[in-house]
Amino acid sequence: MSTQKEQFEKTVNVFISSIENYFDKLTKIPISTKPPFVKTQDELLLKECTGMIGVSGIKKGFIYISGDMELFRDLIRRYVKLQDPTENNMLDMAGELSNVVSGNVRETYGDEFMISVPIVFKGKPDNLKFPDDVPIYVIPFQWNKFEAYMVVGLI
Amino acid sequence: MKLLIVDDSSMMRMTIEEHLKNYDIEIVGTASNGKEAIEQVTAKKPDAVTLDITMPEMDGLECLEEIMKISPDLKVMVITALSDKLTGLKALKKGAREYLYKPVTPDELMKGFDLLFNRPAS
Repeated sequence: MSTQKEQFEKTVNVFISSIENYFDKLTKIPISTKPPFVKTQDELLLKECTGMIGVSGIKKGFIYISGDMELFRDLIRRYVKLQDPTENNMLDMAGELSNVVSGNVRETYGDEFMISVPIVFKGKPDNLKFPDDVPIYVIPFQWNKFEAYMVVGLI
Repeated sequence: MKLLIVDDSSMMRMTIEEHLKNYDIEIVGTASNGKEAIEQVTAKKPDAVTLDITMPEMDGLECLEEIMKISPDLKVMVITALSDKLTGLKALKKGAREYLYKPVTPDELMKGFDLLFNRPAS
């Protein structure tokens, strides 16, 4: 039986490794992470543009990645080669990023780590609520000059 | 070669299209879920399909089974974020010829198409 601290470190490391791989591989610009922490306050850590994935199977909960539009605009310019992306393009990219980062952790958790299609949204929706019984880990990161959050709530 | 691109992300569909611009492949359609893909395979008779797995309406594995019934010689390359080995094996058993893990670079994509079409490496 692992302790809460071990569980925190294990989960955080799996997701950091997944998002590092995404940006390294596609853009050759590495991310830098700030110290991850357990979210204890009600405040929603959301930027302008968020892609969220629901998780079921051997783990239950959610994963989201939230950044400002500029982050996704820059990522699209570099990867998709689309110079003037629309807001919908940037939301789609947020969804795809969260899908890839979540899907890649199946290398560690296996095929019973089931992920949903992404839900994407702008800003802070009024009706967004997170479950109370799930520990929520926040991983702040910076890619290029853009700050963002990866938030993992899994049991 | 006629290609159908199937992915629920418009950015991924656009990425694949962009990186195929200088390649001798005609993109005959795109689809954002498995049901649309089946319709397009029936209507447009592509030679090859790039197929995502995690999609709304009908996922890629279910779609793969159906499109192989419609067109058994179809060359399917799965491009998915699901990086566990079992899902890859399932896709290959159902008839996929190539399997790429997202995030996929332009080079990997090109190598995947070379293998799919049995061509010398580009």
